Amino acid sequence: MLSPELLASAIRMSVPIIITAVGAIYSERSGIVNIGLEGMMIVGAFAGAAGGVFLGPFGGILVGMLAGAFMALIHAYASIQFKVDQIVSGTAINILAYGVVRFSAVSIFRAATTTPHVDHLPAITVPLLAGIPWLKPVLTHVSPLVFVAFLLVPLTAWIMNRTVFGLRLRSVGEYPLAAETLGVNVYLMKYAGVIISGALAGLSGAYLSVEHTGMYVEGMTQGLGFIALAAMIFGNWKPGGAMLAGLLFGFAQALSFRAVSEAIPYQFIKMIPYLLTIVVLAGWSRRSRPPAAVGVPYERGEST
Amino acid sequence: MAQANAVLAIQGVTKRFPGIVANGDVSFDVLEGEIHAIVGENGAGKSTLVKIVTGLYQPDEGRILFRGRPALFRNPRQAILAGIGIVHQHFMLVSNFTVTENVILGAEPPRRGLIDPKDAATKVRDLSAQYGVKLDPDRRIEDLSVGEQQRVEILKVLYRGAGLIILDEPTAVLVPQETEELFEHLRTLKRQGKTIVFISHKLDEVLRISDRITVLRRGRVVGTVKAADVTRPKLAEMMVGRPVLFDLKRNEAPPGEDRLVVEGLKASTGRRSILADLSFRVRAGEIYGIAGVEGNGQTELAEAIMGLRRVGGGRIHLAGEDITNHPAALVRKRGAAYIPEDRHQRGLVLPMTVWENAVLGAHRLPEFRRGFRLQFPGIYRFVEEGVVKFDVRLTSIQAKAETLSGGNQQKLILVREFRGDPKFIVASQPTRGLDIGATEFVRQQLLNARDQGAAVLLISADLEEIIAVADRIGVIYNGHIQAEFSQDEAEPKTLGLYMTGAKQGSEGGRRAS
Amino acid sequence: MNAQLPRSKAAKRLALLEKFSPVLAVLVAMAVASIALIIIGKNPLVVYGTMFYFAFGRMDSIANILYKATPLIFAGIACAVGFRVGLFNIGVEGQYLIGVLCAASVGFAVKGLPVYIHLPLAILAGAAGGALWALVPIWLKLKRGVHEVITTIMLNHTAFLFVQYLVAGPLMDKTGGMGPGGVDLRVRTPALLPTARMPDLHGALGKIGIDFPAGSVNWFLILALLAAVGLWYLLWKTPFGLELRAVGHNPKAAETAGIRSNTVIFRTFLLSGAVAGLAGLSDLLGYFGYLDIDFPRNFGFTGIAVALVGRNSAVGIVLASVLFGFLSRGGMGIQIIERVPMETYYILQGLIILCIVMASEVIRRYARAQQKKEEASPNA
Repeated sequence: MLSPELLASAIRMSVPIIITAVGAIYSERSGIVNIGLEGMMIVGAFAGAAGGVFLGPFGGILVGMLAGAFMALIHAYASIQFKVDQIVSGTAINILAYGVVRFSAVSIFRAATTTPHVDHLPAITVPLLAGIPWLKPVLTHVSPLVFVAFLLVPLTAWIMNRTVFGLRLRSVGEYPLAAETLGVNVYLMKYAGVIISGALAGLSGAYLSVEHTGMYVEGMTQGLGFIALAAMIFGNWKPGGAMLAGLLFGFAQALSFRAVSEAIPYQFIKMIPYLLTIVVLAGWSRRSRPPAAVGVPYERGEST
Repeated sequence: MAQANAVLAIQGVTKRFPGIVANGDVSFDVLEGEIHAIVGENGAGKSTLVKIVTGLYQPDEGRILFRGRPALFRNPRQAILAGIGIVHQHFMLVSNFTVTENVILGAEPPRRGLIDPKDAATKVRDLSAQYGVKLDPDRRIEDLSVGEQQRVEILKVLYRGAGLIILDEPTAVLVPQETEELFEHLRTLKRQGKTIVFISHKLDEVLRISDRITVLRRGRVVGTVKAADVTRPKLAEMMVGRPVLFDLKRNEAPPGEDRLVVEGLKASTGRRSILADLSFRVRAGEIYGIAGVEGNGQTELAEAIMGLRRVGGGRIHLAGEDITNHPAALVRKRGAAYIPEDRHQRGLVLPMTVWENAVLGAHRLPEFRRGFRLQFPGIYRFVEEGVVKFDVRLTSIQAKAETLSGGNQQKLILVREFRGDPKFIVASQPTRGLDIGATEFVRQQLLNARDQGAAVLLISADLEEIIAVADRIGVIYNGHIQAEFSQDEAEPKTLGLYMTGAKQGSEGGRRAS
Repeated sequence: MNAQLPRSKAAKRLALLEKFSPVLAVLVAMAVASIALIIIGKNPLVVYGTMFYFAFGRMDSIANILYKATPLIFAGIACAVGFRVGLFNIGVEGQYLIGVLCAASVGFAVKGLPVYIHLPLAILAGAAGGALWALVPIWLKLKRGVHEVITTIMLNHTAFLFVQYLVAGPLMDKTGGMGPGGVDLRVRTPALLPTARMPDLHGALGKIGIDFPAGSVNWFLILALLAAVGLWYLLWKTPFGLELRAVGHNPKAAETAGIRSNTVIFRTFLLSGAVAGLAGLSDLLGYFGYLDIDFPRNFGFTGIAVALVGRNSAVGIVLASVLFGFLSRGGMGIQIIERVPMETYYILQGLIILCIVMASEVIRRYARAQQKKEEASPNA
């Protein structure tokens, strides 16, 4: 059962989780909880497909990212300016996304839950390495976004640790008051974190529709946005950890699609990713170290 | 009017808040290259003054000159840019960042948006060598000792080119060796031409390190003196003043049996021990006052007694029963009542109504409940009577607690806590923020309870209050009762010495009868 | 010295503003949604007008609105109870599914009971199922600090899959007709026994002159209203309600007064789950009479909206449920008549939530500014 095909499938399934989870890191590290990632993925998936129909795959991906960023802007505005409870705001985004997507689908394509077929990006086959038998399925005809996903990980680590932007972003999520006293623009950093997370969630959604399935289908995100959050927590808010966690969950997802067993009904196999998430969080939460000021609305100048 | 070599000239600064004058016509100079201390008790106005100087507050009157130029900053950034640096009492450090990251945050070396960790670390290392402030740039804040963390704060201000460095209660969190090291650093900085302002209530340290001292009391300047010209007792007297005796009525009956016995209580957070072998006892019919500057373990002691905080060692006995580490509800059942020091955070649920707050915790008692429902006639009767008895002024008991003034909120807490004639009462800073009328009322209530046989533990940073109200007084310093006095023996000067660590008790330090 | 002034004019105005902020928020949301309508070339005024007329102008619409409001009242109560103690129960989706499952099982599997035992038993099973499904998330939250949002959402998906499995497998009704090629036409549980069915409200209403079509509204509406009353009673008239609200406002002060916050939180969340378990019963025991694979969903998110719009109060929840029922029914109307996608309903929902919470924040800040002004006035 542990075949190269399974490995390839696992990697493909983990891509959306990894991209969204890494994106979530930007938001949470700036101190804003983003429960609305699922909604941003949904919007990205639809926008990616819709964009793909009219503008081709590249355009679709871009539109998907923009759509995700736009939803994130709403969440950011409500959470930062209005100090709305971030969970409530994120949930509202999820509901809004569901409605906006259906509405747009009906308006543009006359079908509420699907879009027409979309071409995908030119597939990449890695030279040389693809010749190796057990790597063949993994590296042949692979979407470029897979590479993007795995490149995002070290890129994010680099941004967080080696740039002024990363330092200030992280400081805002840990101790915004201290950052403010040192002249860091706390609000700006939070906006940046949330919008980046939205853009990446949108990218992730667009990957699902444009690259993975070839069209948008309602419900295709299947709670991946929340699983990505769990992956981020499991990965201790670090890109490397999120990637490993994403691979784990991706593997569980791949299993749930491929494992056909007489003994176990397929619905239970499909439950694996969700139950796994709970088990992982339960075992992990004691040791997790979130950004110290995450989830706390910041009031400028609210010192002693 | 400012002296020629005054780096900082404070002239007639006044700052008012609703109901209180935090700074009243404060004037003094800080001279170039000196170490100038500002001393005073809690509430004397020290932190307000500092916030004005560093740009967090704006004064209502007066002006400030920095190096001869007007310096009323509108935000902290301006103060930093002008060359004033502050080392806060509560460190503004990100715990899981390294020393370097904390030092450079917001003023990163210009390298087109990138950070070169090695380069930054070198800069920090050079800086620390230059000023003799020993630190490893790559260590994380959470791994540093408190003394080392403070050095990071000092490095932060030096990195930004501060010429005037303000330290706010810097030794409050240090152990003696760290204090010595800090003083060494300060002397080095002074030699390098920096001017230092040192805010503290610890007189022995202030006398050791400063050149001149300004004493604040109740928002006003009592005087500015040279450290060489003044003694500890004189400073304590300036800080604390003479007690004002209120017209309080009390019984002269002798106290009864031990009601509360605290033995060898120990508690700590991380490295710092908060309660250190703390022992005392309170008898029925007496008020035991714990005098001390805030931050010496009073809050933790009250919480430990009331079952809101776990202790690592020692015993607490209430009316003969061991209640150490018991849950709060159980402690209350045994007859304990608690007036917490923060009436907004822990005392009342502000969005709820007066009557709801008055029965909170007691709402399941038979007189307030019948089966599953609340028994409103009983509740309202109790609250109406209580409100009259404790003089709570309000429009209706259905009003939200947050609409009451501070004094009435405190009296509402009395209504709740004094229900059922508690055998033992912990009153923590009970008159803080209250006007004279409410203050007198609350103190009289405590005396009345005492006259009726309750044991009262009064914790207060207001020395006058303790001397006026308590039968016996224990001075707390660094989580330990240093000395005890009876009401007749107690006088502010002596108490002040123990409160500020100028004098420390020997093992247990028992002296009172 | 401490004389308390009567509530100032400003304070009274403020309280009024707070009560009406949901109405304002709804209007703002409708205005924003108009943008989407304009983009697809429809006149918002005409659309909203049609919506109103369709929803309120016909008896069958009103009946339908009340019918749709019933599960929302339960879901709203479930969410509100959670909010009041400081928790976020998004698990209503899963809890109500498990509740429906349990109730359905009792309904068709338990034979030989008279209706006045069987029906209440089924309802109880529904509540128990919901509470059970809420147990794991709250336990994990209190013992291991796991955020209840993620665990409940994971359990929502799990519940859906579990019910799917059961309905298409062990619990499937094998007596149904077979279509061409031998495919079972009815992927659902067996029909519930008549003794487990909730009677129609049509007869009783007819007696007092309200003429709803038969089969449109059942007694669960009354049950839902009773539940709302129950919520009000619990919160304001019982000791537990006092504790619940205190812990929700200020857990520290509650602890200081001797209340055990964790116990209160635990019980409240289970209560929330139990009420959520009732949300689907109106459809199951009243209308359908069996649990099939396409059972109505999405009560969970709407429940949150209802609780927020209704400001977590009994009266507000009932009104908000009717509002969302109206939006749903009206949405159907404008789809048929004006060819506007009824998904506008969901857009409106999301917008309304956002507007409500933003509005309450704006009011809160306005209140604080007013308070500061009053404090600073001559007194110092």
